[in-house]
Amino acid sequence: MKDLKHLIYFENLLQDAQNELVEKAKADGQYALGYNCYYIPEVLLNLPGCFSSRLRAPRCTSTDVAGYYMTNRSCPYARSILERAIEGGYGYLDALLGAECCATMDRMENHFSLLNLVKNEHFFLTQIDPPMKSDKINLDYYKVQLTVKILEPLKEKLGVDTSEEALRSAVEKHNRLCRVITEIGAFRKLPNPPITGYEFHVIQLVSQVCPHDLILPYLEETLEELKTREPEEKFPFRARVVLVGSEVDDPEFTKLIESCGAMVVADRYCFGSFPSREEIEIREGETAFDAICRTYLHWNQCARFMDGVKIDQRHDEVERLVKDFGAQGIIYENMKFCEFWSYEKILASNIFINERNIPTCTIEKEYALGAVGQLRTRFQAFIESLEIKQIQGGK
Amino acid sequence: MKKFLKLFLKILGKVLLIGLIGFVATFTLYITNGENKLIYYVIRPFLNKHYDSQVRDRKI
Amino acid sequence: MKLLDKMIAPLDKALERFDPVKQSEKGTGGLRDRYYDKTGVAKWREWRGVKDTMYDYCAWLNNILSMGQMVASAPLPILKGFWEYRWMGSYLGTFMFIDRLFEGYRGPELRTAHMNMHAIVQSLTKKIAFGLKNDARLGGGPDTDKIIPYDETISPLYLKGFKGLYPFPMQTLPEFIICDIDQHIEPYYIDVAESYGLAADVCSRCAAETGVAIDDAFLKVGKIMLSTNMPCNASESTSMIQRRRFGVPDFAVTLAMQHNNPEALPYSRATLEAAIAFVEEHYGVKYDWDEFFKYAKLMNEQNTIELEKWDYFKTPYSALCGIAETLYRLYEWQSVNGQEPHFNKNDRKVLKIMRESYEKKHEPFGGKTRHRAFLWGPSAVYYCDFPTWVQNCWGINIVLNMDSTMGYNMINTEDPDKAMDDLTKFTEKATMRHHAVGGWENYNAVWEWAKNFNCDMVLMNDNIACNGTLGYHALMEEQARDLGFHFIFIEHDLQDSRTISRQDMRNCVNKYMSVVLNETPLDPTLVEFDDSDAY
Repeated sequence: MKDLKHLIYFENLLQDAQNELVEKAKADGQYALGYNCYYIPEVLLNLPGCFSSRLRAPRCTSTDVAGYYMTNRSCPYARSILERAIEGGYGYLDALLGAECCATMDRMENHFSLLNLVKNEHFFLTQIDPPMKSDKINLDYYKVQLTVKILEPLKEKLGVDTSEEALRSAVEKHNRLCRVITEIGAFRKLPNPPITGYEFHVIQLVSQVCPHDLILPYLEETLEELKTREPEEKFPFRARVVLVGSEVDDPEFTKLIESCGAMVVADRYCFGSFPSREEIEIREGETAFDAICRTYLHWNQCARFMDGVKIDQRHDEVERLVKDFGAQGIIYENMKFCEFWSYEKILASNIFINERNIPTCTIEKEYALGAVGQLRTRFQAFIESLEIKQIQGGK
Repeated sequence: MKKFLKLFLKILGKVLLIGLIGFVATFTLYITNGENKLIYYVIRPFLNKHYDSQVRDRKI
Repeated sequence: MKLLDKMIAPLDKALERFDPVKQSEKGTGGLRDRYYDKTGVAKWREWRGVKDTMYDYCAWLNNILSMGQMVASAPLPILKGFWEYRWMGSYLGTFMFIDRLFEGYRGPELRTAHMNMHAIVQSLTKKIAFGLKNDARLGGGPDTDKIIPYDETISPLYLKGFKGLYPFPMQTLPEFIICDIDQHIEPYYIDVAESYGLAADVCSRCAAETGVAIDDAFLKVGKIMLSTNMPCNASESTSMIQRRRFGVPDFAVTLAMQHNNPEALPYSRATLEAAIAFVEEHYGVKYDWDEFFKYAKLMNEQNTIELEKWDYFKTPYSALCGIAETLYRLYEWQSVNGQEPHFNKNDRKVLKIMRESYEKKHEPFGGKTRHRAFLWGPSAVYYCDFPTWVQNCWGINIVLNMDSTMGYNMINTEDPDKAMDDLTKFTEKATMRHHAVGGWENYNAVWEWAKNFNCDMVLMNDNIACNGTLGYHALMEEQARDLGFHFIFIEHDLQDSRTISRQDMRNCVNKYMSVVLNETPLDPTLVEFDDSDAY
């Protein structure tokens, strides 16, 4: 396929948290609001005068100092973010809107304030207590948390307009971005898509780490380009897989899977587009804030949800993606030391293999892709098994 | 009365004797750590052998 | 009594040479000498002087009696239970467990320790008999459907408002208590879980629970399951595997993590109310506040006594200390939680001894304490009888465990509305949760606690798979330095003693005491020994 016009530009934007567009928005006087997790609705961080920045630690190969603080036995994603923070990599932030979604994330975010890692007079840290169920009690608690820990501090400390009107406008802009990404992502459903999983991963990531106003024109242009982009003559992969799991914010990981012969057709992991790019529908009689909370709680697929409804939903959602995107198998990954995804991985793989008859491969990974020999072997073996299954007519 | 006292002393004597034998037996078991030796060297190995041979309905 | 003391004094003197504490004082031996290597099996029981040995003997007999009662109350189910469940076999190690916990104990501290332990034995034996008698796998019983199974980390007090129903902590028998008694039992279940793909780096306690579920080794009782988000991530996750195995309708009692924040109370309260409604719906039993108040009063008394005990803990004259305090409080709070009146009776008796000892200015362990330590440690400290060992080897007296500071607020016993608020606060601050979740302030509170209890040392559990502790590793060390506490991280892998052995754990203390503090051990036989094959 012909290269996408902006792909190299997008790849470059992913080389640093404080990228060119972030600097531009800052220069325009906007507040940079960092977050780590889908529990924090991105849309609330894109109220007028602010932009969201989902924290990554690109090119972080050593976590020596963070390892001193959190030991080397803790989640490498959290450790890498802390390392980057200690290096001063998030100096542009005006606030970190965190969540006690897991103990390591909680501890890592605590260090931002305890070690005074962001030397910025505005900077503050808040952490929500994220719900673990989807019923009304938990929805109400989610609303309270987002009000007390996000909307009120933004208004009081940064003077951000959090009115209904401002929220509606943020939802509108958010939906516009979501539509573009969803449309781009939908090309992956085609038998021979004009986009690779890697390219989509890059596009999805830039939409999370760059100011929406500034990245949107590039994304819209890319969408138009894709509409006329000629795919390869023949589908260049031997299989199609859905990638599921915890943080994958390095597109090289997707590239690794694809280099083994399977296209990643759907991305159901933290930083992926399922969930994150669902439009927010404001129902009649509903406030924008209520619609945001409802939407985010509904679509949240985090492995920490404990009620049966959400546990079933997250498996059904993966199965839906397998069907909608014509995948033959699932790859479940978890970050090393991640307890939630380690458990979810064995539970889900058991369900998919034994009860839903969908081939599933499980792997554990580091944050930074280093030696990938073992992973490559696992992927190759899995893809081969998918091929054999196809040849045998799915038996 | 004398007869009753005699009977009482006889019963008391028997109770004391049984008590004494009981005490000597249990105290010997206690001080020699007998029951723990029996459990550690005989009973648990036997039970473990049984547990290891069990076929359990393992599944998630 | 004084006459009796005079009568036995010559005998005591004659037999003193068999007392390992005296032997270590004289340099002729020590507490470890009476063991066979590795096994933890003692050649003979500890000679503690005539009076204390007789007391220990009577306590042993008393515990045997409780176990006999357990078997007599349900002989067939107990036998079947031994045959069916691997973890049941481990309960045979109870006597060895008690012996090693109270090594070196004499006088009032021996009495309070045995009184507390006997209360636990009584409670546990009844629980085992009741559980097995009603285990559907073994044929079931009259109360099988009247049992409310719940995750053991939920405080069960609020479930006592259901008259005629019996709350039952599902993990306590196969996992929690037994891992303290036998260090080799949970590795079996951990291996089962890992053979199904569970990562080896998750908390071993939760891995063990998962293994019990996969191995189909939970009792089958009740109609529902109350799971919970307490206390940690792995615990939440294992609940999701367990719910499939239980195969009954389940309700996750998810309480606020940030429980100090004002918005937490309404949320947690609503969750508890929903849990109550869930039980009502499935069992057809209406919640009875008067019934609840009966038990809340017992819990209040337990906590009132506990608070008075704390006053004694702050002095050098506490007759209750070390493992006798930590294990008892943990069991009494988490498992008993006001449900068993004999614990109140025991508390009153123990408190009486503590008062007397304080008046007599009795210093425990012959006044050989060198350091007063605040402990933050879970199960691993019990299976390796850690508090007992640090006292006997290095003279470090464990004054209080962080887990002992769980919910100690009083609960209103007249007004259901106020009671519900109190109950929520109480439940939110359960085991490993009061301080381990909710952010840095809760965690960092350990120094204030240590200071209030006049401790110069903090011994901190360092579960190599506990994300909560690992995340604050360096900050805690820096805090200790800044605040002037002796601070030791005790590295362990909770229920997997293969990763970090008991001796490795002891070495954490050995190194600090000898290298940093340049101290010599009270009993050199305890510094290094192999007990890898012991229960």
